[in-house]
Amino acid sequence: MSYINGNGNANGAKPPNPQPEVLSANRLRKEYGSRMALKDLSFSLRAGRVMGFLGPNGAGKTTSIRILTTMLEPTSGYFLVDGISSKQPEQIRQKIGVLPEGMGLPKRVTGIEYLTYFGQLYGRSASTAKATSRELLKDVGMQNRGDSEMGSYSHGMRQRLGIARALVNDPKVIFLDEPTLGLDPRGQKELLSLIQRIARERNTGIVLCSHLLSEIEGICDDVIIMSAGQVVAKGTVAEVIGNTQLNVDQRNTIRVRVPPTSIVQARQVLESSPHVKQVMHVDETGGWVMVQLTDKASADPATEANARNSILAALIQVGIPIQGFESAGGRLQDVFLQLTAEAIQ
Amino acid sequence: MNGASTTSTTPVWRLVLKQELTEMWLGGRALNLLIVFCLLLSITAYLLGTNSELSLTPPREMEVITLQAIMAFGLFIGLVLGADCITGERERVTLEPLLLSSASRQQIVLGKFLAALSPWPVAFLLSVPYLIVLAQGDAVMGPSLVWGAVFGTLLAIGFTCVGMLVSIWSNSSRISLFISLLIFLVSLLPGQLPGEVKTSFVGRIMQVVDPLESTNQFLQQGLIDGAQWSVVLIYLVACIVATIVILAVLFLYAAPRLGLDGGARIARPIWNRMEAVK
Repeated sequence: MSYINGNGNANGAKPPNPQPEVLSANRLRKEYGSRMALKDLSFSLRAGRVMGFLGPNGAGKTTSIRILTTMLEPTSGYFLVDGISSKQPEQIRQKIGVLPEGMGLPKRVTGIEYLTYFGQLYGRSASTAKATSRELLKDVGMQNRGDSEMGSYSHGMRQRLGIARALVNDPKVIFLDEPTLGLDPRGQKELLSLIQRIARERNTGIVLCSHLLSEIEGICDDVIIMSAGQVVAKGTVAEVIGNTQLNVDQRNTIRVRVPPTSIVQARQVLESSPHVKQVMHVDETGGWVMVQLTDKASADPATEANARNSILAALIQVGIPIQGFESAGGRLQDVFLQLTAEAIQ
Repeated sequence: MNGASTTSTTPVWRLVLKQELTEMWLGGRALNLLIVFCLLLSITAYLLGTNSELSLTPPREMEVITLQAIMAFGLFIGLVLGADCITGERERVTLEPLLLSSASRQQIVLGKFLAALSPWPVAFLLSVPYLIVLAQGDAVMGPSLVWGAVFGTLLAIGFTCVGMLVSIWSNSSRISLFISLLIFLVSLLPGQLPGEVKTSFVGRIMQVVDPLESTNQFLQQGLIDGAQWSVVLIYLVACIVATIVILAVLFLYAAPRLGLDGGARIARPIWNRMEAVK
């Protein structure tokens, strides 16, 4: 089911009582002289949903975010935030929260003081801003460090505080630019679940720019993939994966992970299987074997499922433990790599 | 957010000023510059004092030379702090959240401007004992303190504005500081012109147009040579006009266009174009 509107590949039915649209862009375009940085960006985002904004470096993500956050004027097109037109940037700024990539924080100010300062900049009284700041620090799991100077914060804490700052004006849409950059795996996981929780509990639309495709796949409801300044795919994560016509190398291909000590034996078993066309790649260190099925074995979904089961059974029968098994091309990463490569070509 | 009690009446510029003062004074930047200021002033006063013992420089002249040095060092502090205040924030990615808030650009710039100006009154107060000692009881002390405060404040305002303008239109602190230093050195040039050029028509125009040199001429002619008011008034007017013009450019033209990139919203300054080409 698609919650993304516009001219993309959304083809599903809308849910009953859909959430209101909090952000919609219409044919946004940005040109720098003769260079087209952004071409006809159109989409909409509903409240309570997280949208992944993906693309290789130079794809136009930052330009898009800067336009949507009123930091840059589009050459043409417009957007609405909670019904407010992009022609009213000051009103839009009241409705959005932003965590810029690599955001700096003053060192000699405490977390509470910093959030209170921004609360006041949004027109709140000092006492209200301070009370809100304490609540926000609690929301992001930093209630015990609010009175410490920010110079003593770890990178993860700074990112959490950045998210709290983005929430200080109770925004309808939050833009997060690479929020997990530089965090350890645990920090990444915690921050992403915090982002998801914020979207659900506050009913806020979140636009999340990230290069962590597996994480995006896990927490985002919708996704937009950009390349060379234009949208190459958009829809729900399942739609984008499902609708992408994968190339020959990725079609009919599975990946099996076995212990590295069993990899030679596994290769022999796989090569002798009648369903296997070829063993394409072997990663002896990681234990991954990539296998392409024969055309006959992948003639239709039912036959393909049987072929995969037979391959697994053959491996198990000879006593090889299966540590991982997945379809190549069935992940957002495969789709991303293919679509962005096609766009560059 | 409901009700009047939850709404702030504090103007944005005061919030920004408070934040900037905290960073500038507790962070040590302003203090470090003031320490350098005191060192330079001490060296100047020592050299002049030594000359005085040899009866080479009369107290009246020493007072004015020291005052000129105080103003040159003091405005340089404002210039440096102004030159860093926007580009520094751009580089630390602390400007973006500020611009993304609903605060007006002019109020943000006003808060930063006042913060960058804040070391000047402290610097002038620190220099008062030097002026008292070097005057050696001469009647020039009173007027020099008054005119020092007037011209020093005008120059500090003007040069802080110049620093901030360069900062608003630059993409890096390095470039911003370099350009500001260049402007400072250029403003010192008319004072170094040979005698015949100084007395020529062009030389006189340069002395009036350059705020630093017009200040020097006012102090020189007014306090040492004892020239008539009507003669030296032009230098004061020139300094006031220059300060008003630069304030207007900063707050009416540059501040409303303050953006994430230096010069992105205005005709790009030549130094940014050069940087882009590089």
